[in-house]
Amino acid sequence: MAKKLLKVVSGIPGFDEISHGGIPKGRTTLISGTTGSGKTVFSAQFLYKGITECGENGVFVTFEETPTDIIRNTKTFGWNTEKLVKENKWAFVDASPDEVDKVETGQYDLGAFLARIEHAIKKVKAKRVAIDSVSALFTHYQDSGVIRRELHKLAANLKESNVTCIMTAERPVEDKQISRYGVEEFVSDNVILLHNRLNSHGERERTIEILKFRGLSHDSEEAPLLVSVRGMNIYPRPRTELRGKGFSQKISIGIKGLDDMLYGGIYKSSTTLVTGASGSGKTVTTLHFIMEGAKRGEKSLFIEFEESPDQLCRNAASFGWDLKKYVDNGIVELLCHYPEDLRAEQYLQMIQDLVIAKKVKRVVFDSISDIQRIYNERKFRTFVIALNAFLKSHNVTSVFTNTTSQILGVTEIAETHLSTISDNIIILKYVELGGRMHRLISALKERGSMHKRDLMEFEITEESGVDIIGPFKDVENLMSGFARRIRQMGLNKEEAERDFIAEVAAGKI
Amino acid sequence: MATKYILKLYVTNKTASSVKAIENVKDILKNELNNLYDLEVIDVLKNPQLAEEDKILATPALVKALPPPVRKIIGDLSDREKVLLGLDLTTK
Repeated sequence: MAKKLLKVVSGIPGFDEISHGGIPKGRTTLISGTTGSGKTVFSAQFLYKGITECGENGVFVTFEETPTDIIRNTKTFGWNTEKLVKENKWAFVDASPDEVDKVETGQYDLGAFLARIEHAIKKVKAKRVAIDSVSALFTHYQDSGVIRRELHKLAANLKESNVTCIMTAERPVEDKQISRYGVEEFVSDNVILLHNRLNSHGERERTIEILKFRGLSHDSEEAPLLVSVRGMNIYPRPRTELRGKGFSQKISIGIKGLDDMLYGGIYKSSTTLVTGASGSGKTVTTLHFIMEGAKRGEKSLFIEFEESPDQLCRNAASFGWDLKKYVDNGIVELLCHYPEDLRAEQYLQMIQDLVIAKKVKRVVFDSISDIQRIYNERKFRTFVIALNAFLKSHNVTSVFTNTTSQILGVTEIAETHLSTISDNIIILKYVELGGRMHRLISALKERGSMHKRDLMEFEITEESGVDIIGPFKDVENLMSGFARRIRQMGLNKEEAERDFIAEVAAGKI
Repeated sequence: MATKYILKLYVTNKTASSVKAIENVKDILKNELNNLYDLEVIDVLKNPQLAEEDKILATPALVKALPPPVRKIIGDLSDREKVLLGLDLTTK
């Protein structure tokens, strides 16, 4: 409780989680980053959300862009900043460059600058101030000693005014130096870094890192940062304590035999990966999961790329499931178009908006491999990590499918990076045995829980969908896809299983 | 052929550099412009809105509004040559 009073809500989704409550209240926090790392968006969002969501008015001190630019740029996020200015909730202090010649002669200070900020704070009764970016002062004026002294004075004045301030600073490059001119040394004990690195594909990747909050707790690892059409979002890694809380209750996946293999289903808020070749039964498995939720009145989001909504409903109807009814009455939301024309940030935002608006509790992503084909590896990884973090923090239970290329034989799951974020992995396989194809299902990793390691045989029938028959008996080499009946003495099921575990340990599966 | 100078001097209350700037500018104007000028002294603490309009950050700051071009001379104006240069008064 006491901790919360020391910070103010930032207005940037995800930030209050990594900062354990928001921006340090009544203090100045420095946000340092290279060009294009998101400093201006962070500043504007901190003020905009402060006004619209917390009723705390704000002052924006702008050094690079004009107020007109900022009003126009924030409009792209759907924000009406102009209206807030008119309503006396948002005030600008315009320190953007003008065309006027300047000559320096003799002693000066930044008295006018400080007076203008103070005036603006009083005018709108501001609780928040954003200054973007103070580094510009060092390029405008020759005497950096004066600028340092004046910024120090400014920080003290702001403290006196009891406002919460964020001040941005330029970082020349991604290196050890926190900011150009060492602004952090005299302005603030609270430092946030915005990283903007070029990946091997020549794309920008943004992350946020809290370097220090004097006397206050915060996460210290970097978290992905994305800017979408709705503004900035930060994706903290799911917390262990959150996980512990969410992982207390099991829910049914909708397939009796599979629930049994998992000793009662999967944990709420967990992430399950269903991996298998084309036609191995992935979509029908996820349909079970959705229908089970729908029966219980739980809202679901079904993201499907390979089939149209009609096909999916027909597919469900062939098992006697009235998916269409649930789609029509809004219990199940189908999202069936390719995101090729959408940037990862926008696509993620769209999913988030749907989950929040519809209070979705179950999400299916069929298949994640389709997304992998569209985005490059790093982008895909960020997308998956961010989506997973978002779903977990909203207590959504998710099932992702992954399409493997091989019908038979050993496939690698690790290649997709998906295994690290998955709490459960369910493998669906075809196995050739005695001149006939059999279907195999296996639960590989149930984080924080027991599961049966048996390799089970299943069928897909019109009456019940996925129907688990029972364990394969006296068979070896199942995971290779080409199984053999065990005839030799001494090689029994336990040994076959041990071999399988050894294979898993060796990273072959 | 007297072009009238319109000048604004932004100061902060009575800081040493502000007081010095007022003295310096008055001395220069008396000698160089023969009183053919309008000088308005503005205290930013009393009139922050005027500083906002003229986009003044540093004080003292002398703004030459007329004749064009508009120019800002920042500091206590102790370097007479530089001030004259800034006011385009270096014909002699």
